[in-house]
Amino acid sequence: MKVKAKLKNGVIKVKAMAKHPMSTYDMMEKKTGNRDDANFILHITGTINGEVVFDMSTSQFLSKNPIFKFKIKADGFKKGDKLLLNWIDRKGKTGKGKGKIK
Amino acid sequence: MERRKFLSMTLGALALAVVPASVKAEDYRKSKPLVWKAKTVEDAIKALYGSNTLIHKGVKLKAAGESFDSGKKAIASSGGAIPVEFSTKIPARTVSVYQDTNPEAAVCVYTVTKYSINDYAIKIKMAKPGSITVVVEGLDGKLYAAKQTLDVALGGCEG
Repeated sequence: MKVKAKLKNGVIKVKAMAKHPMSTYDMMEKKTGNRDDANFILHITGTINGEVVFDMSTSQFLSKNPIFKFKIKADGFKKGDKLLLNWIDRKGKTGKGKGKIK
Repeated sequence: MERRKFLSMTLGALALAVVPASVKAEDYRKSKPLVWKAKTVEDAIKALYGSNTLIHKGVKLKAAGESFDSGKKAIASSGGAIPVEFSTKIPARTVSVYQDTNPEAAVCVYTVTKYSINDYAIKIKMAKPGSITVVVEGLDGKLYAAKQTLDVALGGCEG
């Protein structure tokens, strides 16, 4: 997972991309005949210094290799702190990404 | 005197015990499984919030580069990755996104943390032309929304 975080005027702008096929039930039914083969990210959380700053529950309708952007208040966070993003998919696999705040 | 002191202490302890529950991230895939199975936008919103009375104001939405209040239909060249941007200034508890062309309606639900500035951008898949709805659950318990219809030149769910 790629994470970019930029601090400016008290706001941290984040751009992240998770590498994931995000396959839907219909797609997998066509491909393998089994709807249960569908796999997509279910939940993404972001933390800085152990504080939860971002939380998102997702479905199969995010694009393949989903890109997402969000903003957070820099209250107490500074340049050089690390933003950690973690995701978990339908098959229980987890992934993570780390980005230094610039 | 002793008893009065004891009482005030218990009340204080109770107040402390209640507060921390208010700001907590929630996995809506686990806590509200029905939201993700709902076939229509109305049903999905109802499954998540218990009501689907929407107030159409206070939320900004842009899909495929076309703002919801421009009066124009947005056109996405590829349904595989439609850029969707949305923001709100309303003090919110959650923000959720739906569309009405895929087999199920819900796209994602954000839990607003105390650090959140509610300004997001994502890319979504849509099989056919349809509409995207963004719902913001305000701290006042009301549901604010914005909706944008769009054309999809090439469907994104066929694979």
